[in-house]
Amino acid sequence: MATAAPDTGVESCAAAPIGPSYREKDQKPQATVSGKIKFDTVHVLPQTPQLIALLTIIRDKNTQRGDFIFYSNRIIRLLVEEGLNHLPVEGHEVTTPLGRTYAGVRFEGKICGVSIMRAGESMEQGLRDCCRSVRIGKILIQRDEETAQPKLFYHKLPADIADRWVLLLDPMNATGGSASMAVEVLKSKGVAEERILFLNLIASPEGLEHFASKFPKLRVITAFIDEGLDDKNYIVPGLGDFGDRHFGTLND
Amino acid sequence: MSEVRSLGYSPPWHDTHIIGIAGSSGSGKTSVAAELVRMLNLPWVVVLSMDSFYKELTPDQSKLAFQNNYDFDSPDAIDFDILVDRLRDLKAGKKAEIPIYSFEKHQRVPGKTTTIYSCHVLILEGIFALYDQRVLDILDMKIFVDTDSDICLARRLARDVKHRGRDVRGALQQWHRFVKPNFELYVRPQMKNADIAIPRGIDNITAINMVVKHIQRALNAKSEAHLKKIAELGQQVLEKPLTDNITILEQTSQLRGIHTILQDRKTSREDFIFYFDRLASLLVEKAMDRMTFTSHEVLTPLNLPYKGLRCASAICGVIVLRSGGVFEVGLKRVVPDCKIGRLLLQSNIRTGEPELHHLKVPPNLSNHQVLLLDPQIASGAAALMAVRVLKDHGVEEGNIVFLTYMATKVGLGRLNAVFPEMKIVVAGIEVDWTLRWIDEKYFGC
Repeated sequence: MATAAPDTGVESCAAAPIGPSYREKDQKPQATVSGKIKFDTVHVLPQTPQLIALLTIIRDKNTQRGDFIFYSNRIIRLLVEEGLNHLPVEGHEVTTPLGRTYAGVRFEGKICGVSIMRAGESMEQGLRDCCRSVRIGKILIQRDEETAQPKLFYHKLPADIADRWVLLLDPMNATGGSASMAVEVLKSKGVAEERILFLNLIASPEGLEHFASKFPKLRVITAFIDEGLDDKNYIVPGLGDFGDRHFGTLND
Repeated sequence: MSEVRSLGYSPPWHDTHIIGIAGSSGSGKTSVAAELVRMLNLPWVVVLSMDSFYKELTPDQSKLAFQNNYDFDSPDAIDFDILVDRLRDLKAGKKAEIPIYSFEKHQRVPGKTTTIYSCHVLILEGIFALYDQRVLDILDMKIFVDTDSDICLARRLARDVKHRGRDVRGALQQWHRFVKPNFELYVRPQMKNADIAIPRGIDNITAINMVVKHIQRALNAKSEAHLKKIAELGQQVLEKPLTDNITILEQTSQLRGIHTILQDRKTSREDFIFYFDRLASLLVEKAMDRMTFTSHEVLTPLNLPYKGLRCASAICGVIVLRSGGVFEVGLKRVVPDCKIGRLLLQSNIRTGEPELHHLKVPPNLSNHQVLLLDPQIASGAAALMAVRVLKDHGVEEGNIVFLTYMATKVGLGRLNAVFPEMKIVVAGIEVDWTLRWIDEKYFGC
């Protein structure tokens, strides 16, 4: 299903042998790896065996909540680390404890996180694991039942957000509707598009394509591009409702 | 991988120096052994008593034993086959499980053993330590303690009555019936197998001093050979390219930024710990990519299949103390329920030779994929030893991932050449020699 037409520049996710280079091809286990999309601004985490194993755990409907939180947090940390790599640095020389000179770099500019409520808030811990006292703004966007369109209900952002790099957090990028609206909010506060990094765990090819075309300078970092969307706009095979699984608000 | 020929490495406990001490019951063998241990004052001197190798008795023999009528002082009472087997393992630097013998029950304690591993000097003491030719072939030094038989009898009586709960009559009966005739028949003739006989036993300070000097010379020679071998390895590996079993983290801007903070002597400990833990988690994540995985299909909450992977076996972290302790937080962030083994290696201040002081690993370590953690590889000598310890505990080389923060080229090369199947993950390479300082800054002492 969801084999995208070639002219969209999307290559569907497919089974492949994966593993490190020193392992023979027939010794590498088969697993479904992320699809590909032809946008320079979209960065998919390297499809390593370990990442696939983490995704396998959080996709599994039998995974308990504690494990879901722990293993999704590990992926989120990897996403944050990858995102931070896109921030600029400047040369910085220091003296080591052994008295030698080390030509290093230091981070330039200020950052902040912005989570799209509520699922995006589940990514805040992972962000804090990497950036201790980072400021975190929030945006609440919900689907309007009358129009079926996303609607902005609330936002609270750092006053100087226009001077900061923004890590926008939302674990699932299905249609890209909420994320687009969040970006519009950020832009209206004076944040330049190229200073926004959108981090998510699983994206649909449709949502990504829509989003990346709309914001050509905005960078997206995702762990996996899935098969597609079903008729309810759920990502398939996906992992269910991330927020519900993380916060334990499933009714069963 | 097949064209990669591994270079040899022998730990300093390979070719263990084994000393046999024989002599009559009550001659003071145990005291002489204890005095040698005291004078050598090294943690790697182990005394092995031949009492551990008594044969298991049949019910009939057991009955005789309880009536003081079983001949424990004959060579037939000793299980030389097991003794020789264990001595050969120890001589080869391997781990040996020593049976535990219960004098109350005249049986081996079932399912229990004492583990001996990595001793540099082993002292085998027992009345028949110089009896079996196979044992004699293994021994590096053969000592016979030659004490006057009156003194032997007096000591034995005192010990049997005081510590072994026997009455004087029973003890004397044993002496006359078994000990004395066997001494003449089997024990005393061993003297001709000895390199050195020590008259008066423990009281003969001059003789014991000579023995100690001899052992020290042998140990120094071994230590020099070990260090020389490691130095030679360094020369050989410098020309060789590193194989792709070595992963150096991609030097991204963030990683370089973290390096800079960690390398800056002005960085506060609070910041140092935060950034080191962050880097440690990244390193462990990278190391986990080097584990073996198998296909695993799951159903998502939408009841759709996803063909994924899972780790092929349990993970065990082994921390090379003290420095390796800095990885513990990072390790637990990635594998929270990871079993953790520890080994303490210390460099000898005088020679720089690494020494194994402590070792505690899970019993079924060989069923695990092992993450070996040490933040700095300088000469590689400590790392070589740590890997060797894992291999001696049955871990396959291909199931070991060595994780380090910084390493010298020569240290990495040595490890790679000696253990070509092992994976190494390193956060950065230092070109030249490096002193250990990471753990000092992390722990603040």
